[in-house]
Amino acid sequence: MNVVVISVGMADYKTAKAPDLLMTAGLGSCIGICIRDPFLKVGGMAHIMLPTASGSLGGNPAKYADTALELLLREILAMGANKSRLRAKIAGGAQMFSFPGRPPVLKIGDRNAEAVDRELEKHGIPLLVAEVGGSFGRTIHFDVGTGELRIRTINHGEKVV
Amino acid sequence: MEITQFQLDALREIGNIGSGHAATALSTLLQRRIEMSVPKVWAIPFEQIAGIIGQLDTPQATIYVKVEGEAPGKAVFFFPVESAEIVVQTLFGSKETMDLYTDEMAQSALKEVGNILVSSFLMALTQFSGIPLQPSVPALAVDMIGASLDAIFLEDGMLDDTVLFIDTQLTGIPKIEGQFVFLPDQGSMERLLGAMGI
Repeated sequence: MNVVVISVGMADYKTAKAPDLLMTAGLGSCIGICIRDPFLKVGGMAHIMLPTASGSLGGNPAKYADTALELLLREILAMGANKSRLRAKIAGGAQMFSFPGRPPVLKIGDRNAEAVDRELEKHGIPLLVAEVGGSFGRTIHFDVGTGELRIRTINHGEKVV
Repeated sequence: MEITQFQLDALREIGNIGSGHAATALSTLLQRRIEMSVPKVWAIPFEQIAGIIGQLDTPQATIYVKVEGEAPGKAVFFFPVESAEIVVQTLFGSKETMDLYTDEMAQSALKEVGNILVSSFLMALTQFSGIPLQPSVPALAVDMIGASLDAIFLEDGMLDDTVLFIDTQLTGIPKIEGQFVFLPDQGSMERLLGAMGI
């Protein structure tokens, strides 16, 4: 069977069925949220940029962790997935730059990771893997059939979790 | 954000003068001819940036300088790793390629290049507008370009639906290419244009 790699852009979300893969490239402080139903072998991925739509400057709801997760879940459930079976893996949330002598008070990568964590918990979706933080970019491929998340970096190796 | 054609032209002119100074500084530093494209002014959703820079996980050396003063913003200079290697080699007059990921000397040389470029850009802007602007110390990431840019654009935890920035390509002969981006903070564009009577 031909495997299709479905590309997810910034502030974007997509769903897929096995054996297809979902991928997003160049995550810095952004986070890739991967969710799947292991029984039905369907799932989805969102590439979020900011923690929450509330109090924000608005715009595309797929930019924010809370609203993007709602949208993604709606689509995954519409494919017949059972919410109680859903499991999540996330990656990203790095801090790419640091300025000596001025510690950033609220690092956006960390805030994104906390927000994704909180939103998943709110929906009762167990978070199996969180490859977050550090100071390097990540490109991820998620296999909705096996649940494997492949994380590629430029200078910090590659791993499958 | 509403922006008129007239303001766009004024911003392009700011880009022209500022980037011209930056290109001259780079040329002097490297003792090479540097050519500059006509600056482009973009007002787009940040998520469409892939349409401008291409593949988000291409390795690039990105130097980030915060612009401080009465019209704050962010200045970014990025170039492909191969170009950055040539720049560093030229600066050190070395025959061997230095590893930009690990070599601290190479990294601080790149930061210095960014510092010089941005300082020249800001000096031109200050002369032009009368608004004093200062560069922060430079920060460097040699990594996926998408990752570096998202960290810069999202740093403040806020993102307007359209982001406004000026983008100029610098090309050195032979084999150096880079991109200079100036991103005014909210309100800074109005202040710059206002100071110039626009």
